[in-house]
Amino acid sequence: MQFKALLIDAYRQLSAAKLFWVTVGISILVVVSYGSVGFNEHGISIGYGFWEVESEQLREGSPWARGLYIGIFSSFLVKVWLAWIATVLALISTCSIFPEFVHSGSIELTISKPIGRLKLFFSKYLVSLLFVVLQVAIFCLGIFICVGLRIGEWNPMLFAAIPIVATFSSYLFAVCVLVGILTRSGITALLITGVFWMVLWSIQTSEGILNRFVTEQQVSIERFNEGVIDAEGELSQMKEKSAEDFRIPKIEKRIDTFNADIKGAQELLDKLEQWHTPTTWVLAISPKNAQTIGLLDRWLSDPDGFDIGAIMSGDMQEFEVDEMEEIDRTTRGARERETMRRMREEYESRSLWYVIGTSLLFEGFILGIASWYFCRKDF
Amino acid sequence: MAAIQIQDVKKTYRGRVHALRGVSLEVMEGEIFGLLGPNGAGKSTLVKILMTVIHGSKVSGTMLGKPIGHRKTLEDVGYLPEHHRFPYYLTGKQVLQHYGALCKVTRSNRNSRASSLLARLGLSGWENKKVGSYSKGMLQRLGIAQALMNEPKLLVLDEPTDGVDPVGRREIRDLLAELREEGRAVFLNSHLLSELEMVCDRVAIMVKGKVTMQGTIDSLTKDSRRYEIKTKDPLPLWVNESADEIIGNTMILHGNDPVTMQPILDRLRAENATILSVKPVRENLEDLFMRAVDNIDEPGAMK
Repeated sequence: MQFKALLIDAYRQLSAAKLFWVTVGISILVVVSYGSVGFNEHGISIGYGFWEVESEQLREGSPWARGLYIGIFSSFLVKVWLAWIATVLALISTCSIFPEFVHSGSIELTISKPIGRLKLFFSKYLVSLLFVVLQVAIFCLGIFICVGLRIGEWNPMLFAAIPIVATFSSYLFAVCVLVGILTRSGITALLITGVFWMVLWSIQTSEGILNRFVTEQQVSIERFNEGVIDAEGELSQMKEKSAEDFRIPKIEKRIDTFNADIKGAQELLDKLEQWHTPTTWVLAISPKNAQTIGLLDRWLSDPDGFDIGAIMSGDMQEFEVDEMEEIDRTTRGARERETMRRMREEYESRSLWYVIGTSLLFEGFILGIASWYFCRKDF
Repeated sequence: MAAIQIQDVKKTYRGRVHALRGVSLEVMEGEIFGLLGPNGAGKSTLVKILMTVIHGSKVSGTMLGKPIGHRKTLEDVGYLPEHHRFPYYLTGKQVLQHYGALCKVTRSNRNSRASSLLARLGLSGWENKKVGSYSKGMLQRLGIAQALMNEPKLLVLDEPTDGVDPVGRREIRDLLAELREEGRAVFLNSHLLSELEMVCDRVAIMVKGKVTMQGTIDSLTKDSRRYEIKTKDPLPLWVNESADEIIGNTMILHGNDPVTMQPILDRLRAENATILSVKPVRENLEDLFMRAVDNIDEPGAMK
């Protein structure tokens, strides 16, 4: 009964906020725009048939059409709209919930009721996430209908965005609550949460960049070693046939170059590891919001391997080459492709426990401090 | 049975500021008990400790027979904090329903009680208006209604008439008297001494975190009772031997027994003195309060 009362109160508080309805309005606009894209037997239609583009691949029933449509949702609408814009709006709307809750004159009315402070704190925390849940639920329902009508796929996995985005937002909201309770200021809570978000983004970006360099060096060392083995094999074969073969010095020079490159890559790898290892540790105990949102990408990935994100970031070439046999595995391009493949494989192999579990542990730690303070505080 | 019984309650902030220095008092069922004291005396601190809003440094005692801080007991306690703030986005009725639900009042009871309390507190017609549009007095009435949603056995009111007009104050006093008739205990914390005097059965005066006086107003003012006899002409010299005090043409006789002044009156009449008035006088609550706080060097808690 008490939880329900807090839930109803949270809903009333949200519905009284203009920003809530502004965000709902923008969400609906985004969904309507998304629904304006469709496919027919000739190609793609945009703006509810206002503009049509003929295409061999992007036409009704093609896997490319499916990939594009789902990809727009998982790669742009979720990653840009839900993970950034809607989250910022949600934080602005909810940042003052706890400061107002603990405001003098208001908190006395609530904590003097027969409800434990811990229960009260966590109930209030959960119902405050209602903003995000409602927003994302409305959004996903719209997308679900669009996808169903446009490509005939009634995919319930689209609703996975609700818990994912709510979890993602909860990492940030926990910090917002802690600061809000400590300072009793919504603006301070919002600003510090913003700074925290930027710090998280920096950690994740640093880890991503360092990981890329480390993997690149590892791949280079591996490939150069393979190159040395191949060259040495080639050399011994040549020497067996004729010790005077004019290609021998060239191959020996190649082996020397490989060895020099291996040495250089190893030195760089050692230096990078000094930074990469602590960064991975920091990331391991931090909320992984980008990776949490990335889960949706994994779950909605196209069975035909279509990746709109990769296409838009210029990695289309990768799809064409991926299946091909590499002629020279030591070239820069081959090494880069292998690096990207390994990184993608590594990120996709990160377990749910690593991505969400450790993030929730961090959130639990922050909420533990906030709830302890709330329970001990003299209001 | 005592609705509140506390002994030696203490509260110290950061080990330096002694807000409460061992408060003991008792509030009986079916009585209105007034707690008064100057600013910073610790009245609100004591109320907040009773209502679990703050943690006491030392708390011993019971409320409705259970230890102070017992969460379930709060189901039977109504509380109106000083300077309360209701969520601006709720209507009057929604406020009552919300706090009623937090007090575990059933849905059907919430609806019926909210309507009847709004009518009882003179807020009929305002139930569906947002509290943001309420005046200070209306918010105060709504606060009292909120405190009554769970039909409490004990009602704790911190400055209930703050911002209420004289008509409203009278209505609140009448309401408190009705609650007393219903057998509920009312713990009243107020600065308005005249109001407390009109409605309270017993009072306690708190100064610098300690209760300095406690009892019925009659018992507390017993020693201050006196008779004042005023004559038209200067008093004769023999009066100096009989009177306890003489101020101009007025002689003061301490005590509550009218028999003791009869011989003096007889002698004055025999000497043809014109007696203008004979007044029984006793201290009111304000005098009592002023006497209690007279020795304070500076207001606020002890440091």
